[in-house]
Amino acid sequence: MYPNKTVALSGVSLHIAPKEFVTIVGSSGAGKSTLIRLLIKEELPTSGKIIVGSIDYDTIDKANIPHLRRRIGVVFQDFKLLPNLTVYENVAFALEVSGVKTSEIKRAVPKILQLVGLSEKGNVYPSEISGGEKQRVAIARALVRNPKILIADEPTGNLDPKNSWDIIELLLKINKFGTTVLLTTHNKEIVNALKKRVITINRGRVVKDEKVGRYVL
Amino acid sequence: MITFWRILKTGFRNLFRNAWLSAAATAIMIITLIIMTFFAFSAVFVQTKLAEVKSKVDLTLFLKDSSTEAQIKKLQGLILSDPGVKSVEYVSKADALKRFQSSDSNKEIVKSINDTDIGNPFPASFDIKVNDINKIAEVNDRIKKLDEDKIVDESSLDKKNQERGDVVGNIVKISNGVARVGAVLSVVFLVIALLIIFNTIRMAIFTRREEIEIMKLVGATKWFIRGPFIIEGSLYGVLGATLCLILLVPLTKAVGPFLVDKLGAGSVLVSFENHFLWLVLGVYGLGILIGSISSWLAIARHLKV
Repeated sequence: MYPNKTVALSGVSLHIAPKEFVTIVGSSGAGKSTLIRLLIKEELPTSGKIIVGSIDYDTIDKANIPHLRRRIGVVFQDFKLLPNLTVYENVAFALEVSGVKTSEIKRAVPKILQLVGLSEKGNVYPSEISGGEKQRVAIARALVRNPKILIADEPTGNLDPKNSWDIIELLLKINKFGTTVLLTTHNKEIVNALKKRVITINRGRVVKDEKVGRYVL
Repeated sequence: MITFWRILKTGFRNLFRNAWLSAAATAIMIITLIIMTFFAFSAVFVQTKLAEVKSKVDLTLFLKDSSTEAQIKKLQGLILSDPGVKSVEYVSKADALKRFQSSDSNKEIVKSINDTDIGNPFPASFDIKVNDINKIAEVNDRIKKLDEDKIVDESSLDKKNQERGDVVGNIVKISNGVARVGAVLSVVFLVIALLIIFNTIRMAIFTRREEIEIMKLVGATKWFIRGPFIIEGSLYGVLGATLCLILLVPLTKAVGPFLVDKLGAGSVLVSFENHFLWLVLGVYGLGILIGSISSWLAIARHLKV
């Protein structure tokens, strides 16, 4: 519940299994983003419990929030890349904040850039690459720490269909490697083509949860 | 340790990659430091000048011609033991005459005295310097009580010498006033300069609030975010101090002769030259302190979880 008494989400009860690929759909303002903000503890629930892996969000103290965020990879619609850092540095930053050794960073970053197909663009700045490429940098940054969960909040929202598909395929590939993927979108074609679990949220409530879902609103 | 080096590296990197912002902040830093140095200079100048003026003010006790050497010795010892007295100099009749004759402004009179030969009209005296000029009247009163043999004819503070007493009082008043106004002005300018530099850094950080947000989302700890900004702020200080000194040294050399000539600031300039190392350290220290503290305060708002 927000301070102005708007209820963003209520009575949401979900269980997502490890290695699952889940799509959350809902129109703008339905509460998708709030759900994700709750998961990375940018927002606190008024009531209710959130447990990710073995971490209970009620008992984690403030100083550990950065550590929690390092375990969950998040990709945003607006990429959220650091404009003053190159592609390579953006990805390396995720490791630097975790205190990973420099030699380890030098080994891991090129590998992950290769996975997302950006080996050639390590030394350019985010302003010099396309939206699709930016989103791949963001995914690389989220993945480089080997998170158990990757949350993609409308990653295709700012992209054309071709680039959108590239991103979705990348997410599927990541899921195949064993990472739980949580995707939110309102792209009908993508949801219907995925043939994965779909959770539909409307006005803050889960209205549908199907094993092989379709986009219905 | 590795985190510390990364924070340091990131701070330097940010400085260069935000070149325009850094240039603006450094420029403000230079101005701030120059203002502060100027005020430090003025404060020292005023203090030195006031001290010079005050040291010239003294209490003179004129002695009766009939007083004996023993009486004079005895009183001199008593005066010297007074807690408010810094020094006592005995000026004999002959000394007083010599002083008068050696003073340039008295040449004409000296000539005429020599012609008429009226003997030595000058009384012997004690020239007394006091510790605290504000208490010169109290010292005068106490000495009068010490003078059991009544060898003191008159004091420079006596009613007869009202005019001189007033001058002493005025000097005390003016010098206290100047020191007070100077202190208030320095504080006011210091606060203004600090506000300007703080606001500049605050705005520089504000334009990058999104970056801070992203760093938080990627899982950076508060120190990992704050550290580079504080390093950056300190670097504004280092750069500002360097440029400030580069500007100030030739400037002082250029206007130095004028200051010595018109204001008699020679002693102040010399003392600055003697303490040049301290000046350099002070300017750098101030720059780093202002830069880092401003950054620290400015970023606090953005770091709330």
